[in-house]
Amino acid sequence: MPFKTYDRWLLTTALLLMGFGTLMIYSSTAVLTPAKEKSISEFHYFTNHLFTMMVSFAMMYAAYRLRPETLRKLAVPLLVLSLALLLLVFVPGMGVTAGKAKRWLRLWPSTFQPSELVKLAMVIFLARFMSGQGYRADRFYCFAVPVSVMLMFQCIFLLQPDFGSTMTLGVLTLSMLYISGIRMRYLLVLLALAVPVVIKLLQEPYRLARITAFLNPWENARGSGFQLVQSFIALGSGGLTGVGLGNSRQKLSFLPEVHTDFIFSMVGEELGFITASAVVALFAFMFLRGILIADRNRNTGEMFVYYLAFGLSMMIAIQALVNFFVVTGLAPTKGLPLPFISYGGSSLLVNMTAVGILLNLSRDGQEKKPQAVDRFKEAMRKKKARRAVYGEGI
Amino acid sequence: MNKRAVILSTIIAFGFVLVLVRLADIMLLNHERLSRAARLQQVVSRDIEVARGTIYDRRGRELAVNVETESLYCEPKNMDAPGKAAAMISKLTAIEHKTLLKTFSSGRGFTWIRRKLDPDVAGHIKRLELEGIGFKTELQRFYPEGRLMSHVVGLVGIDNQPLEAVELRYDDTLRKPGGMVMVLRDASGMQISEGMDTQARGNSIVLTVDSGLQYIVEEELQEAMLKWNASNAVAVMMNPYTGEILAMSNRPTYDPNSPAESSSQMRRNGAVADLYEPGSTFKLVMAAAAIEAGAVRPEDRFDCSKGSIKVGKWTIKDSHRQGVLSFKEVVQKSSNVGTIMIGLELGRNKMVRQAENFGFGEKTGIDLPGEAKGWITRESPSEVATASLSIGYGVAVTPLQVLRAYSAIANGGVLVTPHVVSEIRTPEGYPMIELKPDAGKRAVSAKTAAALKEILMAVTEQDGTAFEAAVDGNRVAGKTGTAVMRDGNSGGYSKGKYASSFVGFVPAEDPKMALIVVIYDPKGGYYGGLVAAPVFKNIAEKSLAYLNVPRDDSVEQNILTVRAEGSRQ
Repeated sequence: MPFKTYDRWLLTTALLLMGFGTLMIYSSTAVLTPAKEKSISEFHYFTNHLFTMMVSFAMMYAAYRLRPETLRKLAVPLLVLSLALLLLVFVPGMGVTAGKAKRWLRLWPSTFQPSELVKLAMVIFLARFMSGQGYRADRFYCFAVPVSVMLMFQCIFLLQPDFGSTMTLGVLTLSMLYISGIRMRYLLVLLALAVPVVIKLLQEPYRLARITAFLNPWENARGSGFQLVQSFIALGSGGLTGVGLGNSRQKLSFLPEVHTDFIFSMVGEELGFITASAVVALFAFMFLRGILIADRNRNTGEMFVYYLAFGLSMMIAIQALVNFFVVTGLAPTKGLPLPFISYGGSSLLVNMTAVGILLNLSRDGQEKKPQAVDRFKEAMRKKKARRAVYGEGI
Repeated sequence: MNKRAVILSTIIAFGFVLVLVRLADIMLLNHERLSRAARLQQVVSRDIEVARGTIYDRRGRELAVNVETESLYCEPKNMDAPGKAAAMISKLTAIEHKTLLKTFSSGRGFTWIRRKLDPDVAGHIKRLELEGIGFKTELQRFYPEGRLMSHVVGLVGIDNQPLEAVELRYDDTLRKPGGMVMVLRDASGMQISEGMDTQARGNSIVLTVDSGLQYIVEEELQEAMLKWNASNAVAVMMNPYTGEILAMSNRPTYDPNSPAESSSQMRRNGAVADLYEPGSTFKLVMAAAAIEAGAVRPEDRFDCSKGSIKVGKWTIKDSHRQGVLSFKEVVQKSSNVGTIMIGLELGRNKMVRQAENFGFGEKTGIDLPGEAKGWITRESPSEVATASLSIGYGVAVTPLQVLRAYSAIANGGVLVTPHVVSEIRTPEGYPMIELKPDAGKRAVSAKTAAALKEILMAVTEQDGTAFEAAVDGNRVAGKTGTAVMRDGNSGGYSKGKYASSFVGFVPAEDPKMALIVVIYDPKGGYYGGLVAAPVFKNIAEKSLAYLNVPRDDSVEQNILTVRAEGSRQ
């Protein structure tokens, strides 16, 4: 399916999700924020988000204008940059600690979460690496390099600690290696080796508590299961049509992190199953558009573009799925935002950049530029035809 | 696409489908159950706080109203300078600095510091603009008349919970229960929506009490208390035809505006709750029983010249030695000897029955809480018991019961139901319910009542026991009582402690009021005629003037006033 310019469906979907997200961010923060912190108005989060959105549009447009070739050249520097930023988090005065985790970089007037950028950089890097001249899917070397890079980032994530990003990056990297045709043997051995590591990590008491809470949240509804139970209650009380926009009661401190990680629960409560499943469908649709872009480029033999498009689609889809899984109790609780909808600048910025890249890749190569002249001629022809029928009065 | 990409895409697609299925499971299949769980944690039910209705006296004067007051609270977790705040508030409210500091440094949430603060102090604290200190407007019950009528109106506690008298008895009316409101709360339990309906007001109550008469009664009773250094005192004024309580006063009394300073002893309404042995005022029962039975006529004579009578192993004396007395004089001079002679002749049963007809031994049915019903001794009908009963011992009565019995004589023989509330009005002031207790049963025949009235009028004549009760210008019918008080602990009689009383009605021929005065343990005199009768007289004179009751000898009595029809418009 060739596009005249770029994939308008993809852009529409992204804009729909983002607009919807803005509305939900306002709904989730307007009521309680001023009550909790006197110095903050009900529009505090909303206006912050609008600012991030402007920056994100700029980033999306920049990414859209960037030629894939440039992107390919930027792959390694981008990876190094994201690594540097990630390490800066640990520099005293630069990093911001929230809870027990050091995940954010002080960036006046806001903060930035380098782990989001790492995902994007990793996808671009993998696309470049796997589409390279020397890439042989059956060679161990070609497997070892990306895995080493991945493990390095994962180790840093775990130091923060950020288990969610660790897992997401792992799934993303291995998925891309998988489609590049890497030997199943390598993947299986790696997974086998990962098992004891994961078990060791899970022995961290708070992670273990999350697992048990996930397995049986109602057992300890006031303790470790609280978040999940509250999410269930929010979704469940929404029913088919919801309690009405802005009428969520679960956002009154019952739902944890209602404007970020658990915003989808509030969507379900306020707008019901119909809207919630529409949001899920939009993400699925976005993924579909993404792999269609990838597929078209594979057929033209542009492997970098193919891997890149596939990787970026995967990146958005995996993040969305993990968030859905967590709020619906299909996966243990992890602090990951829902792309385009959750409040959080870094996530929106990175995902909009990804959409920008995908939109760029959706343009049918460079040979089919939009033919403005032709379209003008067409319009004139139609106008003449109308006049012939209705006369000058129109 | 290669095979692996298809597999991976399918897995992702499957993931989305899984999410949809899971959403349908949670949101549609478990909707009912989870909604219930949601309501359970989000909504709490609270009683609607209704502003209490106003209490008026019979002339429409406000006796209990609501005023908005400020209550001071703190939220220690939001406080930035607990030390400074504690010092300043301590200075203004006179709460101990240490106590405040402890509260302020506790890091807790909402905590009251002082409820219903003085407006001046509240203003001062407000101007300090301290962090973590706040005010909440609350309705406070205010009694404009203060101590006046406190035993009738009653009072409420700090949370406006009813504690005494009309406030307690008519709480449902005054609060007009608004039911429950569902109140939203957040996870920390903070209330989100306001539960109080500020428009909700209870019904108003109009009392039968006249604060003008009440003032007269209170003043005279207070004077008697001081004069006789009495332990307690009670005075009740009632309309003898309707049972409307016109005034009801007790000593000691209390100020309902400062509930903390009153003890339960002070709040006790002795007129309905305190039992005493009436003594001579109870001779009415003997007299009524005798006349009803046709056993005596007023002219019948009894020889009381011995001055004492021996009953069983007891000898009962008269306070003053009398000669041969007519029946009327026995009552007039309150001769114990004569009374016992008649009583023994009548027999115990007739007197007990008459006492019960007068309503002794049962509650009067007054609409005030805590009424005692009293008792008549049920011991073996020995001569001693019969003799005791005839002169008012061996029974326990409330002042109100005695007043009711005498009211029956005043109104021609019917027992009325005393009551203090005449009307319930809507919050807007429209009449809603008029409370008119049914006319009670007959205590004595009209003829007997007339005869007894004649005898009781003699009591306040020059040679009666209560000339002191005679009112200038109007005839008074009544009876003195002087009874030895029982010792609260031993149950025996205590030497030198008397309950002096006078009960009667005025004007005797056309009674406007029945009044009882009981003074407990007066010092320096104890005869009812000496201690209680003057109080009766003073109250009666002032009250008759207040009510514009003409003198019996007034010339206007004989002038027929005719209002011209036309002049009405």
